[in-house]
Amino acid sequence: MGSFWTAALAIAAKDMKIEWRTKTAFASAMVFAVLVLAVFYFARDPTAVGAIEIAPGALWVTFTFAAMLGLNRAFMLESENRAMDALLLAPIAPSAIFVGKFLGNLAFVGVVELVSLPLFVLFYNLPIIEQLPALMGVIAMATVAFVAVGTLLSSMVVRTRFAELMLPILLLPFLIPPVVGAVQLTSRILSGRPLSDLAGWLKLLASFDIIFVVLCFFLFEATLDE
Amino acid sequence: MQGTEPALRAEGVKRRFGHRVVLRDVSIAVSGGDFLMLVGHNGAGKTTLIRVLAGLLKPSEGTVRRSGSTGMVAHSSMLYDALTARENLAFYGRLYGKTDPALVDALLEQIGLAPHGDRRVATFSRGMVQRLSIARALLPDPEVLLLDEPLTGLDEAAAVIVRNVLRDLKRRNRAVVVATHQLVEVVDLASTVGFMVDGRLAGLEPVAGRDAHAVMARYRELAADG
Repeated sequence: MGSFWTAALAIAAKDMKIEWRTKTAFASAMVFAVLVLAVFYFARDPTAVGAIEIAPGALWVTFTFAAMLGLNRAFMLESENRAMDALLLAPIAPSAIFVGKFLGNLAFVGVVELVSLPLFVLFYNLPIIEQLPALMGVIAMATVAFVAVGTLLSSMVVRTRFAELMLPILLLPFLIPPVVGAVQLTSRILSGRPLSDLAGWLKLLASFDIIFVVLCFFLFEATLDE
Repeated sequence: MQGTEPALRAEGVKRRFGHRVVLRDVSIAVSGGDFLMLVGHNGAGKTTLIRVLAGLLKPSEGTVRRSGSTGMVAHSSMLYDALTARENLAFYGRLYGKTDPALVDALLEQIGLAPHGDRRVATFSRGMVQRLSIARALLPDPEVLLLDEPLTGLDEAAAVIVRNVLRDLKRRNRAVVVATHQLVEVVDLASTVGFMVDGRLAGLEPVAGRDAHAVMARYRELAADG
């Protein structure tokens, strides 16, 4: 068990270090996030559509697609010099590789979200201080679900010829349930609706977290066969 | 071959990619102190055999048994360009539970890269990358080392370093399997030569003092026999 977590954390730390040095995925994700938020902001007619009506959708479109840029990168790092072979030769469980990649992706997406959220608040002029803990909770829950599926699928598509194109095509259908849940919850939180109003969607989101993480954890090894 | 229990044993290994058969009924056993040199034209199945022996490819038929740890040097370096040489080795060290920085220093010294330990791999020449790749493979002190064209792209000084590493492995009773076209560099270290012809192991014979020309002459003989 010790070596499982040592390996998983080593892989996550290595991915973060490489991203910190190169900033390849982070730079593109941030440019994308700013662009999407700006487009949604300028596309809205403030006299006809309230900020609160468009903000949840804009937030989750931004998060989802910006995250995809990072998810794509995760396994490309391993394919560049076939470093994945060295990971597979090491005496570690394949699931430790999944957990390491999952944690690395989670950190990447988390940072993108943390930087984008203030921009979102600024663009839509939303007073969210009171709702911030609940909003952060929803963001965390939805992020766990789509990063788990994204990590699994990115390991599947990395050996295909059009990996960068394939990931969104395969990932988007899986993202619909958690992202719909996240949009609904974000909308209710921003409207100041009571917690009891959120329970149903929260349970749904929690279920997706559990199902996606557990399934991806066990399915990962099957994606490694050549 | 020496010893009672082989460190690596392959029996009746066949490997297909789709309908194409790349390895046909290959059986070998390698024990500690053995140095097997695999000879064959491009496409003869050497690389596939090395990957099957390493456990990176599952045989379509037959079995491969490894009794100890396995290191591998392939065409690709399995290194991360954005990390330094030292960081690469330290990362893999953590996966193998070898976290002593002195081990990394010793390996860098052994392959002649000690002065370049803190340089990013992206700035290395092909020969330096190849030497670092060998250090990565040596990190767990493997019972079996599999090398696929380890001397390609090396200048004379680097080739001497790699030859010394191979000689040291043999002295320390490790099993070594080398697939190479550069027979002149390896033939005096090898104890056995395996002739690969169209995915078959057409012959497995002691080197018995033969030089590179004699080995190639024998290869042509076996290849002509089909």
